[in-house]
Amino acid sequence: MNRLTGRNLTIAYGNKVIIEDLDIEIPDKKITSIIGPNGCGKSTLLKALCRLLPIKKGKIALDGTDINKSASKEIAKKIAILPQSPEVADGLTVGELVSYGRYPYQKGFGRLVPEDVEVIDWALQVTGITEFKHRIINDLSGGQKQRVWIAMALAQKTDIIFLDEPTTFLDIAHQLEILELIKELNQKQQTTIVMVLHDINQAIRFSDYMITMKDGEVITQGNIPEVLSSQLLAEVFQIDAELMQDKLTGKPMIANYQLVNRKYSKVEIK
Amino acid sequence: MIDSKLKRKQIIVCLVLTVLLFLAVTWSITSGEYKMDLSAYLKTLIGQGEFKDNLILMEFRMPRMLITLLAGMALSMSGAIIQSITKNPLAESGILGINAGGGFAIAVFIVIGQVNPNTFIYVLPLISAAGGILTALLIFLFSYNKGKGISPVNMVLIGVGLSAALSGGSITMMRKFNEDQAEFIAAWMAGNIWGDEWPFVLAFLPWILIIIPFLFFKSNSLNIINTNDQTAKSLGVNLDKERLILLIASVILSSVAVAVVGSIGFIGLMGPHIAKSFVGPRHQLFLPIALLTGAFLLVVADTVGQTVLPIGTIPAGIVVAIIGAPYFLYLMYKTNAV
Repeated sequence: MNRLTGRNLTIAYGNKVIIEDLDIEIPDKKITSIIGPNGCGKSTLLKALCRLLPIKKGKIALDGTDINKSASKEIAKKIAILPQSPEVADGLTVGELVSYGRYPYQKGFGRLVPEDVEVIDWALQVTGITEFKHRIINDLSGGQKQRVWIAMALAQKTDIIFLDEPTTFLDIAHQLEILELIKELNQKQQTTIVMVLHDINQAIRFSDYMITMKDGEVITQGNIPEVLSSQLLAEVFQIDAELMQDKLTGKPMIANYQLVNRKYSKVEIK
Repeated sequence: MIDSKLKRKQIIVCLVLTVLLFLAVTWSITSGEYKMDLSAYLKTLIGQGEFKDNLILMEFRMPRMLITLLAGMALSMSGAIIQSITKNPLAESGILGINAGGGFAIAVFIVIGQVNPNTFIYVLPLISAAGGILTALLIFLFSYNKGKGISPVNMVLIGVGLSAALSGGSITMMRKFNEDQAEFIAAWMAGNIWGDEWPFVLAFLPWILIIIPFLFFKSNSLNIINTNDQTAKSLGVNLDKERLILLIASVILSSVAVAVVGSIGFIGLMGPHIAKSFVGPRHQLFLPIALLTGAFLLVVADTVGQTVLPIGTIPAGIVVAIIGAPYFLYLMYKTNAV
C-alpha cells in the first residue's frame, strides 16, 4: 500500500469541473511524472494531491489520514512543494528564503534552533548554493533561483516533494542540472518525487513511473516500460512518434514525431 | 540564516533613527509660539524645570508629541502589514480607503449618535475602527474571486473607489453639521492632529500596546505570507484565516490612529519602504525600523506644518502628502518598471 492515494477525486475551479471521479496512487520512493497536453488537468491534479487546491469530492489520504482534514503544518512536514515559477519579495536573500522551509517546525517568533541551522546548511550544500547564501534571490539567474526553491523544499525535511514544471523557463543545460539534482535526491534520500513535466523525453529519462492525462482523465498510470507506447502518444498527444532506445540511458525515447492530424501543415502559406 | 552584517546594520539604523527621532522631538517641543530653550527643555524633562516650562511641556506639548509619535508608529506598522498580506507595495490604509471608512463612520456618528463629551474620545477610536474594518471587509468581499482568491490589484482598485465614495459621503453629510462640526470634519480629513491632551493618549495607548506586539509576534508568518500564496499554503500557513486576522489587526491600528490625528496617508507607505531599503523584507528586521521611521516622519511633518507659516498652521496630513504623493508616484513607476 502506497502512502499517498486519491480516491474518487472530483476537482473543480469554481463551478468548472476539471477532473471527475479519478483514482490515483503515488508509488513510494520513486519519481513520478505527470504528463499530458496543455489544459489536461495535470497541474490541477498535482495541486490537489498536495492540498494546494481543495477537492469537491473524494479523499486524498497520506498515511491513511485525509490531507484536507489534517493540520496544514503537519502535512508540511511530510510534503514539500515547488510551485510553478514562484515569486518572492524584493530584497530577500537566499539564506532567508531557505530558512522559511523550517516554518512547519517553528513556533511563535521563529527563532532558528541549532537543528534548523544544520538542516538549512545541508539544504544549501546539497543544492550547491552555499556560496550564494547572502545574495539577493531576484539578482540570481533562473537556474540558480530554481535551486534556491528546491533548497527551501529540502529544508522542510519531507519524504515527498512535489514539483510543478520545475524546468520551465530554463535553458537545456539548467533543465538537466535541476532534473539530475532531483534524481540524486530520490536516489540518496529515498525521496518520493511527483512532478509535472512538459518534455516527454525528460519525463521518460528521469522518472520511474508515469501518469498520462487527457481532458481531466488519467489514461494510463504505471512503470514507464509498461505504459509507454506509440499508441499512447498518439492518443494523448496526437503525435505520430517512433520509440527508440536512448543510447545514453538505455531507456526509451521518442523520435521522428509529427502531428497525427496534420491539418496545420496542409494550410497553404502564401 | 540572517547575515550577521544585516543584523548589525539593523541595530545601527535603529540607533541612528532613535537619535534623529530624539532631535526631531526636541525641535518640535522647543519650537512654537512659546520658544522653550534647550536647557530649559532638558531640565524640565528630568523634572527640574520651572513651573511655566513644566506646565507647557507636560500639559500641552508632551501629550501632543506622544500622540504624534504613536500615530506615526501605528500608521507605518499598519501599512507594512497591509502591504505584506496583499503583496502590494502600493497598499496602505489611506490608499485603500480604510482611513476614509473610519472618517465616514465618525461623520455618521456625529450626525446621528449621542455625542457625550466625557466618553467621546474613548468611543471615537472604536467608531473609527468599526468603520475601517467594515471598509476593509467590503474591499475583501468585492475583490474576492471565487477559485482565485483575493487579487491584490483588484483590492487596490476597489479601495481607491471606496475611498473616493466614502470621502464624498462624509463631505455630503457636512450639510447636516453645524459650523463647529463641519470645521472638525474638514480639519480631520486634512489630517490635522487635533487630539492633543492626556486623555487622548490614554484612549490611544492600550490599542498600540496590544496590537503592535501582536503583529511583531506574527513576524514569522508574515515572512511566509509575503512570499507567494502557494508557498505559504505549502508551508502550512492557514492563509485565509491568517490574512483576515492580520488585516483586522492592522486596520484597527490605523483606524485608532486616524481617529485622533485625522486622516493622514502615505506614512504607511513611506515608513515600511524606507525600512525595507535598509534591511530587506524580513519582518523581524524591518518592522522596528518602520516604527521609528513612521514616528520620525510624522513628528517632522507636524512640526514643519506648525512652524513654516508666519501665521497659522498647515495640517500634518497635508505636509506628509507633499512628500508622500511624489513618493507614491515614484513607487508606482518602480513597480511598473520591474
